[in-house]
Amino acid sequence: MKFIDQFRTGLRNLARQKLRTSLTIFAIVIGAVSVTVMLSLVTSTKSFLVSSSEKIGMDTQVIVTGTSGLNYRESQWIGPDGSGKKIDADVLAAVEKLNNVQSATLYLAGSMFDSYKVDDQELTMKNVGVEGYTPNGTIKHILIAGSELSDSSNGSGVLISSDLASDLGFKGNETALIGKDVSFHYRKDMGPPDAPKADEVGKIIGVTSSDRGSVLSVDLDWAVEFQTWPNPQNNQNNQNNQNNQNNQNNQNNQNNQNGQNNQNGQNNQNNQNGQNNQNEQTQDQSQIDRMGYGSIWVSVDQKKNVDGVLSEIKQLGFGAAAGKEEIDSQSTAFTIIGAILGGIGAIALLVAAIGVVNTMVMATLERTREIGIMRAIGATKKTIRRLFRVEAGVLGFTGGLFGVILSYGFAIGLNQILNKQLADSGITDRDIVSISPQIALIVMLITTMIGMLAGSLPARRAANMDPVEALRYE
Amino acid sequence: MSFVQCSGLKKTYSVGGEEVKALDDVSLNIEHGDFIAICGPSGSGKSTLANVIGGLDQPDQGSVMVDGIDLANAKDSILSEYRNKKIGFVFQSFNLQAHETTLENVIAPLTVAGVGKKQERRERGMKALERVGLSDRAKHKPTQLSGGQRQRVAIARALVNDPQLIIADEPTGNLDSSRGADVITELKRLNAEGITLIIITHDASVAAQATRIIEIKDGKIVERAGTK
Repeated sequence: MKFIDQFRTGLRNLARQKLRTSLTIFAIVIGAVSVTVMLSLVTSTKSFLVSSSEKIGMDTQVIVTGTSGLNYRESQWIGPDGSGKKIDADVLAAVEKLNNVQSATLYLAGSMFDSYKVDDQELTMKNVGVEGYTPNGTIKHILIAGSELSDSSNGSGVLISSDLASDLGFKGNETALIGKDVSFHYRKDMGPPDAPKADEVGKIIGVTSSDRGSVLSVDLDWAVEFQTWPNPQNNQNNQNNQNNQNNQNNQNNQNNQNGQNNQNGQNNQNNQNGQNNQNEQTQDQSQIDRMGYGSIWVSVDQKKNVDGVLSEIKQLGFGAAAGKEEIDSQSTAFTIIGAILGGIGAIALLVAAIGVVNTMVMATLERTREIGIMRAIGATKKTIRRLFRVEAGVLGFTGGLFGVILSYGFAIGLNQILNKQLADSGITDRDIVSISPQIALIVMLITTMIGMLAGSLPARRAANMDPVEALRYE
Repeated sequence: MSFVQCSGLKKTYSVGGEEVKALDDVSLNIEHGDFIAICGPSGSGKSTLANVIGGLDQPDQGSVMVDGIDLANAKDSILSEYRNKKIGFVFQSFNLQAHETTLENVIAPLTVAGVGKKQERRERGMKALERVGLSDRAKHKPTQLSGGQRQRVAIARALVNDPQLIIADEPTGNLDSSRGADVITELKRLNAEGITLIIITHDASVAAQATRIIEIKDGKIVERAGTK
């Protein structure tokens, strides 16, 4: 019997039991939708995350830290706490000399401000980080408006993450923030209480996506200034200098009375003290000088060279974490989630398969006499088996087809929800959930196979019927 | 060599734990063009004999050769092809597919065998319907036909593959005498065209029209009536 005739016969037989066929197909549709939507959701989200990470060069990024054993995420915000090896310009120079290193920058993160102000709005900086780096292309952002930091931004350019832009009331209108002044107010507990620093003022030049959290990005030199206070000891020294000067004047007056020699000796001593004080002020003016920077961010020329660079940095005695490890770990997490969700979908399909078995068993019982007639007119056992398998396959295929069509509808709905959430996060990507034709085809193939597999047992039962008995069946 | 050669056929069924001999050492030869009536009481084994000759069943012992084919030892594919190409069955209860049209029922053996294209099958089906005078009922469903017409459709289905042998199991059992007579006339006409005909019947008047009558009782051939 030709396949087309088996197919036609299968369709016709299914059409004879419309309600039962519809219910069986409905069960398969549920399974197919579960598998399609879940697989697509996971695959699309995974691919979106990977492509977003690659856009900002995360796949070729390495973070060098003074402390070993940190992963990429931990390394991102590490500050100089003096616990590991000191990260400074010398280390940067050594890293820059390594093979395949495209660019590198010292990186400093901190939270020395308690509020920031744009126009007349002053917002708290609790949970808001300030990062500083050299704008040489090593660190990139997903930009929503404006541009990246650059040398031409005169050192006081500020990038603001979209969630902060949203807090400022510029959600959806981020471009309007560009060019506005932003002032940062120091925390009271930062620096010596008797030497408060004035607010820092910069200009917003770009709005970034908030995928790395609430953050304000500035030029490294400026970030260093943020963490630089005159040493309290220096203030004391200044005071001493002032006193010395007074003493000198007094002594001059006194010397006029007591003699020139003593006066000269006293002056020399005072001057010496003053010089020493001046030296201490230079050494202690920044904690950066004492404790170093938080990390060095490195951009490797190609992804394949990242492992080599990592290894070389570790040989230098520093900790190193690669962005691609984070991407890989996220991908693995999504693969696991995909497997779990796929498993749930598979259970739905298994239940549907049981429905197919039930339907086909019923069909063999109802059509026993028909099977007998077909055997009498020359149908082989194989033909009967195939007839029922094809019929079950048609059930599976139809369920898969409707399931995929419905899944496209679900994807549209999901995208509408996700688009809104992405827009809220300031991410410009849209319609990230897409059902690839490959997934659609695979799901239809799987449901067809499941149908045929589920139909195998009833098909075998039908094929093995004794034709004489089948013809007598009432 | 005879067209049908049965030798020492034995077939036993188990009914309610009791063994029933359906065929008990049956030997029989049938020639090309014969019109055989197999008679006997219910449960005597006549249908079993017809089913064995028709390739629907296989004996426990003995041999059955039809047109050189060893049916007793043939595998399913050989038996199925034999039933499709060489045999036409006509049943008491017509055994037509109620959801299919007359024509679709008639061309079913061709569809099962994968013969030609659909159009070719339909043409052959229409010819078979013409032979039984029902070409104008091609699009009717069996439920729209009388009992006699249904049996003629079953005969058309049996004819469509140009079989050498038609086995009719109580073909008039569900028909009134007038329509039964028409069906027998139809079958006799086909026999006259050269098709070997085996009719299983209770009806003495039907059996009387055969060239040979074989009486079966308790699985044994008890009487062979002579050729007319």
